[in-house]
Amino acid sequence: MNRFFTIALAGNANVGKSVIFNQLTGGNQITGNWPGKTVEKAEGFIEQEGIKIRIVDLPGIYSLSTYSEEEIIAREFIAKEKPDLVIDVIDASNLERNLFFLLQLVELEVPVVVALNQYDIVEEQGIEIDDKKLSAFLGLPVVKTIATRNKGLTELFETVKDALLKEEKLTGHILYGKEVEDRIRKMVREIQHEINSIYPARFIAIKLLEKDPAMVSEISSPEILSLAETLSKELEEIHGESVESVIISERYAVASRIAEGVSIRKKEGRVNISDRLDRIFLHRVWGNVILAFLVLFVFFFVFRFGEFFSEKIGELSKIIEPYFVRLPLPPYLRDIIFKGGIEGAISGIAIVLPYIAPFYFILSILEDSGFLARIAFLTDNLMHKLGVHGKAFIPLFESFGCNVPAIMGTRVMERDRDRFIASVLATLVPCSARTVVILGLVAVFLGPLYALLIYAIDFSIIYLVGVLLNKYMKGTPSGLIMEMPRLRKPVLRIILRQTWIRLKEFFTFAMPIIICANIVMELLILTNSIEPLSGFLNPLARFMGLPPLATVALIFGVFRKELTLIMLATFLGTTNFALMLSPQQIFIFGLVSVIYIPCVATIAALVRELGRFKAFLITIGEVVGAFILGGLVNLILTLF
Amino acid sequence: MENAEIRVALSDVSEGGKVKVVGFSNVGAGFTRRLQEMGVLPGETVNIVRNASYGPVEIRVKGSNLLIGRGIARKVIVEVIDE
Repeated sequence: MNRFFTIALAGNANVGKSVIFNQLTGGNQITGNWPGKTVEKAEGFIEQEGIKIRIVDLPGIYSLSTYSEEEIIAREFIAKEKPDLVIDVIDASNLERNLFFLLQLVELEVPVVVALNQYDIVEEQGIEIDDKKLSAFLGLPVVKTIATRNKGLTELFETVKDALLKEEKLTGHILYGKEVEDRIRKMVREIQHEINSIYPARFIAIKLLEKDPAMVSEISSPEILSLAETLSKELEEIHGESVESVIISERYAVASRIAEGVSIRKKEGRVNISDRLDRIFLHRVWGNVILAFLVLFVFFFVFRFGEFFSEKIGELSKIIEPYFVRLPLPPYLRDIIFKGGIEGAISGIAIVLPYIAPFYFILSILEDSGFLARIAFLTDNLMHKLGVHGKAFIPLFESFGCNVPAIMGTRVMERDRDRFIASVLATLVPCSARTVVILGLVAVFLGPLYALLIYAIDFSIIYLVGVLLNKYMKGTPSGLIMEMPRLRKPVLRIILRQTWIRLKEFFTFAMPIIICANIVMELLILTNSIEPLSGFLNPLARFMGLPPLATVALIFGVFRKELTLIMLATFLGTTNFALMLSPQQIFIFGLVSVIYIPCVATIAALVRELGRFKAFLITIGEVVGAFILGGLVNLILTLF
Repeated sequence: MENAEIRVALSDVSEGGKVKVVGFSNVGAGFTRRLQEMGVLPGETVNIVRNASYGPVEIRVKGSNLLIGRGIARKVIVEVIDE
């Protein structure tokens, strides 16, 4: 027997879908305790006992209306690709809202297995959920899980497998109140012999009654549309509210009836620690003080850690060199292999790894604990001035790791304007590669204060660009509506895994680029092509007061920002940059590296998310802007 | 319960207050829908967890906490049950 199935993980934002996905597939989805990490569907495969299952991790959504891009992705996937089964992941501690979504899933008439996740939190609250009763209410299998501790997942998988093999239709059925139910049925009767759609008749009926714009435009039959209108109007007259409110209330009524029916309060729950901590973290004074200290701590921790290990690893190439020189190879080949390849690899590891490893580690802690969402709260006001709301803070913060996922993450914004502004700002945020330049060059050779100064300049630019874009782009910033995740103790296993997923990217994606670039550079040196190239760039170099070779290094930085530094090291044959650059030049080089052009990967992400024209605009703007800034700083520093 | 008749914007209710949602004034269809889907429905009781004079308002509704930007909170009309 060899069978192939597709299943999807769906559910509200931040309920643990990606954690379950990773556990089931051994996949590499970035997880974290805030809503909106997964903005694109991810896929993984499991093969077991002759069946192959493709698992798709969908973005978290609250409804199947068409409010934001993630919801459209999820809704269309379920309706069009018709997965064999959907695992609806439910936050057990937030049953009512999660059931609200499940009811809609049931309307799509796909087979569903329910994962009652985060069950540990419910227990802490002193509540027990009767999973058998819940299963009976819904007509669907229910499995209790604690994904972060890998509990219940084997059982979940077995249930899924059984459901897939049995082929019995696991579609629940939920009835609404009489007034609404009667009208849904009336609609269904008409729809059934009039319309052929990928959506089930009942789903269409409800969406039309709700006046869902996407559904209304999809239905061409004027009779059905006018019937829907009449029935909607009747409902509005009976309830004295918009039909949308009527149906949402109706759904919530069913959801809360089920939730109440299956929850049993066992004992007084422990005092919610998250709420207590929030009194401090979100305090209008202390919250900001803590945030400032946190930022400084991260900065100094990453800097000291990086500086120490960078030096230690850097010594490695000196140890290897004598052995390599003795190898019987023609000198040019030796140069290419050793100076280009091996030294490139070592300097990649020595210069970059010691800074990004601790940085990713801390980033993962902030994500997993839910602290990021607190920062979003504290900075919402500031973000508004920049033309985006607090939700934009999260992709912007992610940008410190890498701009690429940040730009994709701007999909959590509901409007194009907000997405554009957030993307532009994201490209200006110093990513881990630029952090390497700031810390490894400026902080090491000029001292941490100058590194902070670069950050200050960069943040001022972000602020300025945001304020200007906000002022001159049409429209006003849209508002924030976001669920506040509970603070929780970070799980070391998940943090290490998260850090590793990001570091693996560095080894598999960045390292080959670094090594190739280094070999290319070595070839350029051997063929004496550096001189003409740097001669060509000389005017630009003089404008910024940099040695011509430094501008060649800047060009390589387009591939990866760390390369600016690694290339400098290649030219010098040492990482003691003070030998080639004066303090003024170090500062300007660092500043320009940080601000000019996002790297090729970022440009590609911009093209994909915003289109060629906007990507081009952003790229050119930032390159020209950075060079002008470099020139200006040079002028100012030379004058005084 | 003599305050029950007073209608104010959600953004004007002080921290620790308890209100009943009455309706929405001019929030825009998308936001009205999202708010309702998150449980901020007419007739629903909502606790105000956090409300400084700036920044988002944090409320507790249907068993979980929700952040609502000040701009939107100004347009959610509520009746004060408990100050």
